[in-house]
Amino acid sequence: MVLEGFSTFQTILLGGAAAFATFAIVLLYRVVRGPTMEDRVIAINAIGTNTVVVLALAAAAFGQPGYLDVALVYALLNFLASIAISKFIVERGGVL
Amino acid sequence: MSETSARILVPVGESSTFRNTAAYATREARRVASETGEEATVHFVYPVRWQLVDELERSASEEVADILDRARVWAAEDLDYDDDGEIDDDGVPVSIETAVVGEDRYLFSPSDFADVLLEYARDRDLGRIIVDPEYQPGGSAPMLQPLELELSRSDRIVEEAPVDRVVERGRFPSRSNLSKALVMFGASFSFYLLLAGVLDTFNLLTGAVSAGIVTTVFSRITFRETPKAGRLLRRTGRFILYVPYLLWEILKANIEVAYIILHPSLPIDPKIQRYRAAIWDDLSVTTLANSITLTPGTLTVDVDRDSLVIHSLTGSARDGLADGPLERAVRFIYYGRAAARIPSPRERGTVEDESVPPTPEEP
Amino acid sequence: MTPLEYLVSGLVLAGVFFGFVAVVGIIRLPDLYTRAHATSKSDTLGTVLSLGGVVLLFGADVAAVKTALLLLFMFITNPTAAHAITRAAYEQGIEPWTADDGGGD
Repeated sequence: MVLEGFSTFQTILLGGAAAFATFAIVLLYRVVRGPTMEDRVIAINAIGTNTVVVLALAAAAFGQPGYLDVALVYALLNFLASIAISKFIVERGGVL
Repeated sequence: MSETSARILVPVGESSTFRNTAAYATREARRVASETGEEATVHFVYPVRWQLVDELERSASEEVADILDRARVWAAEDLDYDDDGEIDDDGVPVSIETAVVGEDRYLFSPSDFADVLLEYARDRDLGRIIVDPEYQPGGSAPMLQPLELELSRSDRIVEEAPVDRVVERGRFPSRSNLSKALVMFGASFSFYLLLAGVLDTFNLLTGAVSAGIVTTVFSRITFRETPKAGRLLRRTGRFILYVPYLLWEILKANIEVAYIILHPSLPIDPKIQRYRAAIWDDLSVTTLANSITLTPGTLTVDVDRDSLVIHSLTGSARDGLADGPLERAVRFIYYGRAAARIPSPRERGTVEDESVPPTPEEP
Repeated sequence: MTPLEYLVSGLVLAGVFFGFVAVVGIIRLPDLYTRAHATSKSDTLGTVLSLGGVVLLFGADVAAVKTALLLLFMFITNPTAAHAITRAAYEQGIEPWTADDGGGD
């Protein structure tokens, strides 16, 4: 089972990316369900992590190193968002 | 304790006004002694923040010895100098002592520093504590005021030496600030060039400007201690040794967690424990906390000074933690090989159950 | 496929496996503390394995260095984020689930 126009190896990389993308979608269940704010943040953080992997795998499969810059920035933002939301939860908006 | 005392304790540290504080202390000791006939003595005491175990920390202990020597020499000079005006027959002798305290425990907070100082004062019967206004216990964290507060809770007389503060700070970069800035600049510049990927004039120029901005804004707050090339290299080297070990542990942890998660009956027995680590500074606590999070079924929930609140997934994970291999590894990275040989947390009895989470603070 | 490609495929597939474990964990585990275990460990390893594969693939290239940086960054930030979130929960006073609470939620 090989995607048209791609080598077996590229198909594997893209398949990996597709798997991680699917995981991200499944994680949306936890984001919606909760039950606490923290559960949602954990799930969103995991979605972000998966997105970074998808970007990196796509960069490898398409031979586009430029995607990696996007992944780096995305990783930074993902981390900052988790930290910021956690801080926000603890301080109830007092500081931020 | 009388109104004043000729038996004086002076906490010592690297400070620009220490010369004057030492002079003030000896002068006061002599003055009070000549008034009350008490035996005059000045103790210069250096509270050390780390245990001096590593070869590297030994060079730090030489620094400490150096500072104390200087204090002793200055005090001796001051005693002669004060004499030259009126050479008093009753030129009261002032004995000068120096000491290093706190080697056998971790000094973290101002109250820890106050405790060792007060203990020393009590043992030697020193009634008065003179604090240098520029004294920074434990590096650059602003701890002086809380320290003075803690000290003044005792029955000793506590005062700040009335010396002029030198206001050169900020205008001229000190050697410490310069090395902080250099390390910071080097790191951010090379990171920039790495991301740019091409070494042309444009990237070098914009990189230098960005690194310059980052350095001016952040170099003061990034480091707590002055970075020293030797220590930095050694720590990096030992950290590189640590990485394969950590990776192996992570792999084991993951297979365990994967088994638990995929097991139909979900065999978990979570519990929260509090655990005091024998680790002192921010960087090593961070390393330990993150390593714990990454390895066998344990997750750092909260860190308060050296005590970590840890959520563990299974009983075997708890046992692994109490054996303390990670703690030893982290001590190895930051304090050297000798420091790695310590009893496990279980043997030290520093693990306890934290059954009830703190009550929520409702606004 | 070259041997390198086999190796990279292996790493990516292993990464996918641990990513899968993380997802199952986040969906299945009973409370947020235990779910944080799944993100901080399984997800980190899944990420690190996949990114490691990409590093090998790019070989001696700036792209490989960038991916390695990304890998290192994920390695440091993932547990830190999990720590920040659980600490927020802990300070809010959310009770952790214990075995006494019974199976499943």
